[in-house]
Amino acid sequence: MSINLEQFFPAARPWVENLVNVWPTPYVKPNFAFWEVGHVLSLIALGGATILMNLRLIGVGLTQEPPSEIFRNLRVVQSAGVVGIVLTGVLIGMANAERLYDSAAFIVKLLGLIGGLILTYGVSRTTAAAEGRVSTAAKAWFVLGMAFWLAALVVFATGGLIAPGIWHVITAAALLVLFVTRGRTRIVYAGVLAVLVLVQELVPRMIYPSERTDLDPISVSLAVIIPAWIVATALVQFFRAGQGEEGGPLTKIIGCATILVWLTSAAAGRWIAFA
Amino acid sequence: MEHFLTWLQHSLGKGAGDTAQSWSEALLESLNFWELLEGTHLLGLVLFVGTILVVDLRLLGVIFRRTKVSVISDTILPLTVFGFVFVVATGVGLVFAKPLLYYHSIWFRLKMILLALALLNILVFHSRIQKSQGAWDAEPVPPGKVRAAAAISLLGWFAVITCGRFIAYDWFECGKPQPSFINTVEACKASEQGAYTLEGKRL
Repeated sequence: MSINLEQFFPAARPWVENLVNVWPTPYVKPNFAFWEVGHVLSLIALGGATILMNLRLIGVGLTQEPPSEIFRNLRVVQSAGVVGIVLTGVLIGMANAERLYDSAAFIVKLLGLIGGLILTYGVSRTTAAAEGRVSTAAKAWFVLGMAFWLAALVVFATGGLIAPGIWHVITAAALLVLFVTRGRTRIVYAGVLAVLVLVQELVPRMIYPSERTDLDPISVSLAVIIPAWIVATALVQFFRAGQGEEGGPLTKIIGCATILVWLTSAAAGRWIAFA
Repeated sequence: MEHFLTWLQHSLGKGAGDTAQSWSEALLESLNFWELLEGTHLLGLVLFVGTILVVDLRLLGVIFRRTKVSVISDTILPLTVFGFVFVVATGVGLVFAKPLLYYHSIWFRLKMILLALALLNILVFHSRIQKSQGAWDAEPVPPGKVRAAAAISLLGWFAVITCGRFIAYDWFECGKPQPSFINTVEACKASEQGAYTLEGKRL
């Protein structure tokens, strides 16, 4: 399954094709590389602020300061990053509209962007400002934001040629959980994960050294088992820690989801160029 | 160097037979591995430079003015180092896939020089400026030399990223008619494509 905007808006192709002639695209196109640099720099501002603000919600990173202090200091950097990626993204997109119209990765990027905006402004920032307490409104926004993110992940994982890009998200989630786990949990988690990765790399080659298509069921199974192990470990860690002064399991889940939703969108953006 | 890189790109790891590929060619033409490397390079960069940005903004006295510099740097820099390891590992892989193209790219050469200068700035900061950290650790706005080092750091990394992005563009690729200065800087004469003057004459 691979979806793109053309399937939803088939009549829009003439409009999409004409975007390259619409102001300010004629001025953007000759300087495309500079706008791309602006996009990457904005992504870096957004990424740095988002990672630190949400690691604090998870209970790691800058723990010497309360979550509200982290939020107060990083909110402008984060918003500058968001404005930057949207502004440069729209301009780059207008200059490259036909490619995006046919791209499944662009659907993932859009879903991730919407999910990221909801989780950041509706959930993560308000939760950080309230020292980790999740309000009822934030819970409602969380459900909506997660729905967009999960939709993005499904499209990414089932998007044909872009599907390998989902490994960016899985790898980042694996490292994030490694970072937030402690003691025996971390050792068991890392050990099992290493075995699963080894199984993924070695066993199929030994069983089917030449029949590549026969690897699909094993690859798909592992693509489910590995994320399931990562998520299960994170949940065990978060629920075992219980409700603290700076939030409970939901606060930590919000922190993880907000980091990973932006990573999903960024990874999908890169895969627009690949497939 | 040209011979070494040609061997690296076309010969290293190459088996017998007409269709055999070198390791470099196999990496470049792999189904997904090169793309995963490239994507990971960008995501590693976000972690690496994103965390540097926060530390440098503190050193500039823009954010976290009420928090000691040592608290910010000691907590964040391990993440920065982690990101740097990813960026370097994936970067080496990307260069290995196209060593000749990178070697003859003016943007790659400039990126390497800027990278060296940015690392030198870190070295100077840790070996000299940081020695007096006790005196300005809790200052909302650190002294001028500290802010200067932070500003140089930010500008340096932004320049490194800019050059890295420009490598993808063939504005000054060897084999194109271009000023002799560019041909010299890129060592185009030694390249497979050769060096051409603006008038189209091969040098």
